[in-house]
Amino acid sequence: MTLFRSMAIRMALVYILLICGFGYVARVLYSVQISRHDELFGKAQNTYTTRIETHGTRGEIFDFGGSLLVGNVPTMDIVGDPANIYILNKKDDEKTETECRMIADFFEKNCENVNSDEVFRRLSKRSFISKDANGRETERECHYAVIATGVKYETAKMLKEKVKELAFHGVSFTSSYRRNYPKNTMLANILGLTNVSYDTFVPIQGIERSLNDAMTATSGSMVYERARNGRPVTYVNSKSEPTLDGYNIFLTIREPLQAIVEEELDLMCERVKPHAAWAILVDPKTGDVLAAAQRPTFNPNDRGTMTPESSANRLSELAIEPGSIMKPFVVSYALDKGFVTPNSIVDCEQGVWKYAGRLLHDTHNVGKVPVTEVIKQSSNIGTAKISVMMGAKNLDNALRSFGFGQRTGIQLKPETSGIFRPLEKWDSLSVSRFCIGQGIAVSPLQLARAYCMIANGGYKVNLRIVDRIERGDDVRVMPVIKESKSIFANPTTKKMITDMMIGVTEAGGTCTDAAIEGFHVAGKTGTAQKVINGAYSNRYYASFVGFVPAEDPKFVLLVTCDDPTVGSRYGGSASGPTFKAIAERTLKYMYVQPQLSREEWLAERSAAQKALHERKVREDALVQARREARDRQLKEQQAKQTAKKTGTTVASRPASAAKSSTIRR
Amino acid sequence: MNQFTKKTNSPDPGAEPGRTQTPWVAGLIFKMAMMMVIIAAAFWARVHLNDKTEQLAREKNRITREIQEKRTEIQTLIAQRETLRSWDNINSKIKQYNLALRSVNPSQVRYMKRFEGQVSAPSQYGGDTRVADTSAGADRTSGGVQ
Repeated sequence: MTLFRSMAIRMALVYILLICGFGYVARVLYSVQISRHDELFGKAQNTYTTRIETHGTRGEIFDFGGSLLVGNVPTMDIVGDPANIYILNKKDDEKTETECRMIADFFEKNCENVNSDEVFRRLSKRSFISKDANGRETERECHYAVIATGVKYETAKMLKEKVKELAFHGVSFTSSYRRNYPKNTMLANILGLTNVSYDTFVPIQGIERSLNDAMTATSGSMVYERARNGRPVTYVNSKSEPTLDGYNIFLTIREPLQAIVEEELDLMCERVKPHAAWAILVDPKTGDVLAAAQRPTFNPNDRGTMTPESSANRLSELAIEPGSIMKPFVVSYALDKGFVTPNSIVDCEQGVWKYAGRLLHDTHNVGKVPVTEVIKQSSNIGTAKISVMMGAKNLDNALRSFGFGQRTGIQLKPETSGIFRPLEKWDSLSVSRFCIGQGIAVSPLQLARAYCMIANGGYKVNLRIVDRIERGDDVRVMPVIKESKSIFANPTTKKMITDMMIGVTEAGGTCTDAAIEGFHVAGKTGTAQKVINGAYSNRYYASFVGFVPAEDPKFVLLVTCDDPTVGSRYGGSASGPTFKAIAERTLKYMYVQPQLSREEWLAERSAAQKALHERKVREDALVQARREARDRQLKEQQAKQTAKKTGTTVASRPASAAKSSTIRR
Repeated sequence: MNQFTKKTNSPDPGAEPGRTQTPWVAGLIFKMAMMMVIIAAAFWARVHLNDKTEQLAREKNRITREIQEKRTEIQTLIAQRETLRSWDNINSKIKQYNLALRSVNPSQVRYMKRFEGQVSAPSQYGGDTRVADTSAGADRTSGGVQ
């Protein structure tokens, strides 16, 4: 009984212990599986789950034909793992130090811009102190030390092999890429450039900045469970978000034309040594910018060439007083609205005219001439008189209808809208000055667009520099934005103003240097005084703008020289020859057939020369006759005075008698 | 105990007379063996499949890496090509080697002749035979112009 009892007690104890044990297990299970499930599952997942971020590549920039202008060059970054270098040799600090020194020396010898001491210092730093949110300091192992960045792909590949051979531990190579500008200075100010902040591109200016959103790649990620060796376990679920490369940008620029413009601009700079120069070539029908160049410029691959002068984008950001190249807009408006006809006579006052208390001068003394001659000889007074006749409101309408005071719509930021005061802020002088390009500031792009409007018959067209953006099959074409209604109400206005502008490059015009064999060239010169410290200076913007062939223009070309220091300062002499050189080569590139044979063209030129000569003879004869009449009057007056003194009356005597009497005396 | 586990020496009253009875244990073992085989096969198939998947994944990674490397090399070559193709570079070579290159001029074409029928290209250009385009507005740079 006693035995039985003690067994029963022991069994009861065992039961109790078992129940307690099971109870404890149940409690732990409840805690692990239910109460703390999410927390523990998350922790477990973290230990065997890896998340990798993948980065796409930034979009590249091409010209219209697909020639690369801005690309990505694969490079490699070389990084060290200081903690791992030490771990391998942790028993022997001296040996580790030797290894670090060896690695540093090796990369200094084989890579550009690597300083051995600096790399050694970074590799030797095996740990660092970090502070958490509570300010508690903890010592952490250092696993990342940059040895070299942006190493050329071929060099990095060779180094990788060597590192393997030399068995350097804790050195790894990671792929990266850098922005490359294979055409160096070509179109540099338009393309712009980027800086790199960690692994992000920061656009600075130009297309790189204005189309940054489209060109930026979308990062993707991959979340997967890994095996013990770190490789992804393929038979369990993994999540991935795709990486999207940035859009590639295709510009409207034609690289061969761009090369022509840049080359000729360089020659012009050698010839006239200006402070700056620029040229724009635009298709007047679509507003496509075919080429755009400026000097000084910079090489985006060599940031040492960048200065505030060379890096500024003058084409879209600079607003200058244009000078005489504004005249065709005013005259075309006056012709269109019927204020004048090409044959209306304007008195250009022989070069000096006073209006609103201020004198206005012409560079040549021009008398009474038809409107055609006002443009041909670029008379300030003639244009101002037409403008005054039109009135301020019409002048304002004229200039605004050609897009002055508004942006051109080009995909370049920032872009100036120029300085063009609203009508209510005009003073009494404005009407006679805005029309000759004084008191108004416009950008080179605005001028190019306004001439496109003359060339295409008065249709307002937005300038385009981006033709399309592409990413694989996703192609987005930038539309041509052109108004369907011409600003010219009279269909003959275009022909009338074009004929006047053709005269500029013919005998007697202000720029015969811009004439091209076989073509009619419509153009206009402009020589604008630069405003320095609020006053007109003796420095000039010498411009020539025109379109060829005049009857069916293939392009509008603007060439401007900022302050030419050698030779003539006039637009016709400084920029005209460059216009001709660019236009000739462009016509050949575009395969434009000459309108006239050499003989026809020469015949036209000599006819114009002859007409000019005849006109000059007529004018000289007229001037001579006027002079003689004036002399006669003077002599008669003198004779009267003499007669008064002597007391005789000579009024009734003929001039010949007076003359003979004078001779007799 | 049910009728399958109950031991009895008496013959099954429902069994057909004259037919040998398979012992129920053998049937059970056979069924279990079959089940084990099926489970083992499924297990083996799964392991094999996983192994195969792993192998393919490794292969895929290797090929992806190779493709990536080739792409990188192509990118590097494109960059080099574009640098060599730039007008800066060509111009410097023209000057360096004093090449007599000049821009085209209509006067350099001395005479023009339109070929009718088939035209053979010179052998250095492959010597292929093509039919000259005699229609109006044909390309002036084709074989019809000298």
